[in-house]
Amino acid sequence: MTAIRGRVWAFGDNVGADDGIIQFSQVPDLGSYDVPALKAMLFVLLDPDFPQKVREGDIVVAGRNFGHHSHPHAGVAMRESGIKACICESTDSAFIRKILNVGLPVVPCPGITALAETGDALELDLAGGTVRSLTSGRSLSFRPYCEGMLQVWSLGGLAPALRERVAAARQPGGELAAEAQA
Amino acid sequence: MRRVKRRSRLAPAREARGAADREVRRRLAMGQTITQKIVARAAGLERVEPGQYVNVSPDYTCCQDISWPARKRIMEEAGVERLARPDRLVMVVDHTTSAGMGTVYHRNHGEMRRFAEATGANYYGPGSGLRHQVLVEEGFARPGLLVFTDEPNIASIGVVGAMNLAISTEVVVTSVLNENWMMVPRPVRITLTGALSPGASIRDLAQILIRDYAQTDILSQACVQYDGPGVATLSLDERQSLLACTYHAGADTALMPVDASALSYARARAGGRDFELFADDPDAAFDHEAVYDLSAIEPMVTVPPELFGAVGVGAVSGRRIDQAAIASCASARMDDLREAASILRGRRVAPHVTMYVTPASREIYAEAGREGLLSIFAEAGATVLAPGCTTCWGYEGYLNDGEVSVSTHQMNYNGRNGSRTASVYLAGPALVAASAVAGCITDPRDLLAIEGRAA
Repeated sequence: MTAIRGRVWAFGDNVGADDGIIQFSQVPDLGSYDVPALKAMLFVLLDPDFPQKVREGDIVVAGRNFGHHSHPHAGVAMRESGIKACICESTDSAFIRKILNVGLPVVPCPGITALAETGDALELDLAGGTVRSLTSGRSLSFRPYCEGMLQVWSLGGLAPALRERVAAARQPGGELAAEAQA
Repeated sequence: MRRVKRRSRLAPAREARGAADREVRRRLAMGQTITQKIVARAAGLERVEPGQYVNVSPDYTCCQDISWPARKRIMEEAGVERLARPDRLVMVVDHTTSAGMGTVYHRNHGEMRRFAEATGANYYGPGSGLRHQVLVEEGFARPGLLVFTDEPNIASIGVVGAMNLAISTEVVVTSVLNENWMMVPRPVRITLTGALSPGASIRDLAQILIRDYAQTDILSQACVQYDGPGVATLSLDERQSLLACTYHAGADTALMPVDASALSYARARAGGRDFELFADDPDAAFDHEAVYDLSAIEPMVTVPPELFGAVGVGAVSGRRIDQAAIASCASARMDDLREAASILRGRRVAPHVTMYVTPASREIYAEAGREGLLSIFAEAGATVLAPGCTTCWGYEGYLNDGEVSVSTHQMNYNGRNGSRTASVYLAGPALVAASAVAGCITDPRDLLAIEGRAA
C-alpha cells in the first residue's frame, strides 16, 4: 500500500530546488503552475535531456543538502513529469513539507547514494521506513512517515487532505461539528 | 490543565528497523534535550527521537496578512466554517502596515478582522507589531510551548523557551484542525562564552554563524540550543536578535535556556496561563556542538547578494550609501533602538542619506517614546515608521536602480528592497546608525572613540 517501486535517476550533492531541480528565476508565471514550462526545465541544469528521458514511476536519488532554497514549483515539476518519490542523503524540513504538500514524498536516508545509481530499480516503503535496491538486493532503513504524512501523500497533497479531514471533522461528534461549539 | 482534549487518534510513528533501530536503541538509553521534550509534550508522547515524524497539537498557530488571500482560498475550498481551537490562532497584520490607496492590503486587513470575529481567533491589526514580538509580548509564547508559524525567523520566541516551527501554507491545517505532523528537530548546541565588547553587536555573531554554516548541511533540520555563560551576558532583546537569524545558518529553529530574567519576563506576560520549564538531561546528546567567544566578535557587514557574505567592517568601510534602516525581526527592539540612538544623539544623518527606523511593536514604539529615543531619531533627520516589517521587504523605503543601503534587515538578495540592481548591506544597529551619519559604511567604534575622547 505504501510501497513505491521505480527506476532511479541519481544526482550528486547540493542540488538546489530553485537552481537545480528547476530554474525558478525562469518560471514564466508565478501566479499559477505552468506545467509544460516546469516539465521542460526539470533537472536540465544537470542533464539537458532529462525531460525527454524521465518516465512515469521514476524515483530521484540525490546527495546531501538536496532541495535547498525551494518553492513548491519544484515539486510540481517532478510530480507532473511522473516522478513518484525523492530519496536523498540529507535535505531540509521546508523542502520535505513543500514537496509533500503537492503530493510527492521526499525521504532523507543517509547512505542512499551508495545503494542506488541511475538505472537501478528501487523499492521504498514510506510507512515501514525501508528502501531496497531490486538491482543489488541491498536495503537501508529510514525514519518512517507518520500517519499524518501518509495521509497527505495518499490523498495527493495538502489541499485534498485538508478537504477530507475537514469533512470528517464536521461529522456529528467531530471537532468541527456544529454542535461542538453551538 | 488547559489541554482538555489530549488529541491524536493517530498512533505514533512506528519505529524504523535495522540500522535506524540500533540508533533508536542507542538514543533510548540516553537523556532527552529540551528540543525533544517540547515536541514530546506537544505529541502527547513520553519521549521522541531526533528525525522521528510525529503528529503534534501545537499550542498556537500564528499567521500574517500578505499570504492571507491564499490561506483563505484553501480554507474555503475545504469548507471550513469554524476552527477546532480558535483561541489558539493568532492573526497579525505586520507585512502591510498601511491600508494604502491603490493597494489590495486594506481588503486583507478587513477580511482577516472579519474572519477573526466570525471564528473567535485572536487578531492584531496594522501597527501592532511583528508576529515575533506580539507572540512574546502578549504571552502566547511561553516556556515549553510549541508554536507553528509561517516564518522560521519567529524562532525569536525561543527567548522564553518556546519552540517555533515554520510552515507556510500549512498554517491552515493547524489553524483549523489543531493538529499536524512535524519532524523532531536534531538537537544542536552552540555554547557562548565571554561578553560582547563595546561597538560589537549580537548581529555580528549572527552574521558570523551564517557565514560559517549557511553553505553546509550541518544545521539542516536542527534546533539550535544556545547555551553557556555568554547567554547570561546578553539582554533578552539581544537573545531574540540571535534567535531570529539562526534559520539563515540552516537550522529549522532555535532556543535559549530560560534563566531568571527570561522566566521573570515570561511569567509576567503569561498572565496565569500554563507553561512548562524543561532542561536538558545531563546525558542528553547533541548532533553537533560548537563554541563561540563573544569577546572575540568584531563589527561585521554582510555584503550582498549572499547571506553568508559577512566580512569585517574594515573590508567595506567608506562605501557610499543612499539609505540606512533599522528594522526587522532581527534588530528593532529596545536595545537595538538604544544602540542606534546612542550614535545618533546630537548628530545628523548625512544629507544624501534617507534613514528609516521601525520599532518592532507598538509597545516598543511607546517605550522608545518614553525614553526619548523617538525624538533623537527625529532630530537626527530619520523617519520613524509604524511597527511592522516595513523596509525589510521593500514595502517602504523602496530602493532605486544602483542605490546602496545598509540596514539591520534579514535578507540581502538582489531585489529584496526594491530594484534588482540595488545593493543591500546588512549589519548591527550601531554600525547602521554610524554609516547614516557618515554617509558611508562606517565602523561604529570610530564614533564611539570620539565620544570616549570627549568624555
